[in-house]
Amino acid sequence: MLSLLLLLPLLIVMILNLPLGRFRSLGFWVALVLSLVQAYTVLFAPAALSGNHDVLGRLFSLGLATDNLSRVLLLSISIVTFASLLVGRQTIREEKQRINFANLVLIAMTGMNGTVLLTDLFSLYVFLEVSAVASFILIAMKRDLNALEGAFKYIVLSAVATILMLSSLAVLLLISGSTSFAAVGSAIKAEGRSPLVVFAVAMFLCGLFIKGGLVPFHGWLPGAYSAAPPAVSILLAGIITKVSGIYALIRLATSVLGPSNSINALLMIVGTISILVGALAALGQTDLKRMLAYSSISQVGYIILGLGCGTDLGIAGAIFHLFNHSIFKSLLFVNSAAIEEQLGTTDMSQMGGLGSRMPVTNVTSLIAFLSTAGLPPLSGFWSKLMIVVALWQSSHGGYAVLAVLASVLTLAYLLTMQRRVFFGILTDRWANVQEAGFGITLPATVLALITVGVGVAFPLMFNSFLLPVASFLK
Amino acid sequence: MLSIVLVPVLGALALPTVGRTSTKLRNLLALGLVLYSLIATMVIAGPVIRGEPAATATILSHSLILQADGLALFMAFVSALICAIIVVYSFGYISHYENQGEYYLMVTLFFGAMMGLVFSANLVFLYTFWEITAITSWRLIGFFRQRQHVVRADKAFLVTFFGALLMLLGFIQVYHQYGSFDLTVIKQGLQNQPLSNLAVLLILAGILSKSATLPFHTWLPDAGVAPSPVTALLHAALLVKIGVYVFARLFIATFVVDDFWHTVVPVVAAASALTSAGAALVETDLKRIIAYSTISQIAFIFLGLAVGSPMGIAGAMLYIMMHGLAKGGLFLCAGIVEQNAKTKDVTQLGGLLKTMPITAVSFLLCSFSIMGIPPFGGFFGKYMVMIGAVQSGHLWVTLVFLVGAFMTIVYLMRVFNLVFLGEAKGAAAREGSPTMVGSVASLAALSLVAGILIYYPSQFLQSTMLQLPGVIK
Repeated sequence: MLSLLLLLPLLIVMILNLPLGRFRSLGFWVALVLSLVQAYTVLFAPAALSGNHDVLGRLFSLGLATDNLSRVLLLSISIVTFASLLVGRQTIREEKQRINFANLVLIAMTGMNGTVLLTDLFSLYVFLEVSAVASFILIAMKRDLNALEGAFKYIVLSAVATILMLSSLAVLLLISGSTSFAAVGSAIKAEGRSPLVVFAVAMFLCGLFIKGGLVPFHGWLPGAYSAAPPAVSILLAGIITKVSGIYALIRLATSVLGPSNSINALLMIVGTISILVGALAALGQTDLKRMLAYSSISQVGYIILGLGCGTDLGIAGAIFHLFNHSIFKSLLFVNSAAIEEQLGTTDMSQMGGLGSRMPVTNVTSLIAFLSTAGLPPLSGFWSKLMIVVALWQSSHGGYAVLAVLASVLTLAYLLTMQRRVFFGILTDRWANVQEAGFGITLPATVLALITVGVGVAFPLMFNSFLLPVASFLK
Repeated sequence: MLSIVLVPVLGALALPTVGRTSTKLRNLLALGLVLYSLIATMVIAGPVIRGEPAATATILSHSLILQADGLALFMAFVSALICAIIVVYSFGYISHYENQGEYYLMVTLFFGAMMGLVFSANLVFLYTFWEITAITSWRLIGFFRQRQHVVRADKAFLVTFFGALLMLLGFIQVYHQYGSFDLTVIKQGLQNQPLSNLAVLLILAGILSKSATLPFHTWLPDAGVAPSPVTALLHAALLVKIGVYVFARLFIATFVVDDFWHTVVPVVAAASALTSAGAALVETDLKRIIAYSTISQIAFIFLGLAVGSPMGIAGAMLYIMMHGLAKGGLFLCAGIVEQNAKTKDVTQLGGLLKTMPITAVSFLLCSFSIMGIPPFGGFFGKYMVMIGAVQSGHLWVTLVFLVGAFMTIVYLMRVFNLVFLGEAKGAAAREGSPTMVGSVASLAALSLVAGILIYYPSQFLQSTMLQLPGVIK
């Protein structure tokens, strides 16, 4: 069953590319159903995901495994893919482009599912690249100068990351004789102090920092997010960079490297710098999507900070924030898709008072932004609280203070966004703007409900669901 | 008891939908939600007054704990009473603006969150409700949506959010020290172990920012761009009192703090009282004058709470009520003046006594209460606070506050003189609508009646005070 998560999307892509005539346009609906099935399986039939004896594993000797961390990620993947597909259907006009879009999303889904499920560093790298290649093409889909520039920047920096990770993998393979998490982990433990190992680990970490868009490796991210078509921005910001950079980092830190003070210190520094730089840069943006992109960098910083804290609570908070962030940041990008679709621009200085014309977008963006800024009782508050409490308890009070005060910056730029876009007096130019279509308001509503629901139900989930997420690491 | 919080919070969410079918029904429903909490509070209050232990209710497997002790009940009663009057006033005031659905949603949600905050005995939920009030007041201050209004709403949100985050860090420090966010658990394991000064400092920053006390006071006068019932709600009755209430809840009813704070807080409050009273003397915008006056009066409440004697604390609590009634009345009067005379600039107003006599008399009565003239309610609050401060040895600080009280009389008389006496300037303004005038008149009457019947609330408060651990006996 586990291997189906990889095989099914691939298989559908193959079938879709047979000369089927107009049946090919069904591909979109198939992909949509697939994302729903994945969400359903994770939530209601987790037993189906625990089988170890699966076809692919036996055929190619791939180790597939699920734990709580990968289940959380599988769920986010399916939700964000669902939202992105619906928005894509609404915003991509050309039939052929739409088919291409569905195909590429499915390939990206294969890549992400693989990254999350595999227990082998090299295979993890391969599937990272699968989703990366799909996203290069997705970003460039509009084929104008901006899109090509964004995609090009991403390719170049990804190539650097590839070189770093591949070289690191070569060294690790030399040392441990295998690339499975367990073998590499024990080899590193045995030879932890040797310069070669330190070098290899550092290279791998840098590669993942690039993939995850962390400061100082974030140069590609705002361009790629803002140049991509609206549906692709959702997918990229919501989940692709989160899986390929952040999930891989969490996996590496917890399953391979194990607790280590120096790596934790590094993660906390990188995380804090990302939080501050991302938030400060977001304050100065006038383009809505660029602001959201910088905000994404800043929020990812919180995840890394929680991870770097190293305690159970910190890691659980980081994973929880990863999930929450993928929901509310997707929601913000869905809102920006609605605006881009209805107004034809993402320049905030030209907007104003849209709240009264686009009520669903207005309310859902309010929920998403309050959650991003960490206001209770929404989901983002609880994950940030967990991270900050963990930092405080492990006597990293300074980081905790920085993390908390950066929330003021977050609130500041998001209030600016609200003021320029929704709150305020309607300008004559937009007096006749309509609410975006159902394909955009439906995912926005679903994502907003998840954000509120998770936030309100948090006290119920805390002991039964969230703490076990961290304790699997023991 | 849970329903006191849940009914307004959940009911608020239904208001915009109801408003689509009938605006009248929505207005009445909003009032009904507030009245429900008011009545339920009084029902619960019965046993507590008779001396039975405080009622508690838990949901979510003990993590959300509501506790109704004397302090909470008193605060809830005062808030619900004033809020109900403000909602009635809104019927008239807000009826010709857009976005009424949002208005009633936010006011009722604010009220529900306030109830939650008053009763909650868990720091995390206290913080949650605290922030919900911040979100709703952000929407309410920016209600008219002019650019400048929204900027000021953003400012209020950012300043209070900054303070709240410091407070949250303080709460985390509390958790670190006692191993729980639950105040009832903390109380049991406390054994007079004082709270660390770091936590006190951080929490105090949050409280001062919410209560608009020096050095975090600047957002409050700016927030005066909001609709008048909102400024009344924010400034007078509820929002700024949240900070004061949390001060009482944490530093008097739960934790024991260093003696050092019993000196620092009065000094900060004194500085706040004098600067804002000075600002109120020179301002020309009617609502800003009243807002500065609020900052100044809040300092009196802080003085009473911080000195820690039973007399001072009871006086402060009494003054929360009296100031809420009277200052709410002043803001609502200002709203009537603003709406009918089309200006808030006191230099361009005058002679309104003839055209709007009821408003003028209500304004005067509420002013008397704020000034502390017997037998109005405000007198007893101020008097008890000062006696309490002198008794616990803060003679010099009390003298400074006496100067502040004198300045209060001067600037309120100045406003009354400019606005209601003298020659009429500009077009003759009419009296406000019946619900609006009725609201201000009832607030003014309540200020007087509460002063005459002062025995009952003060008796209730003094017996409550004796049960609190932070009181210096």
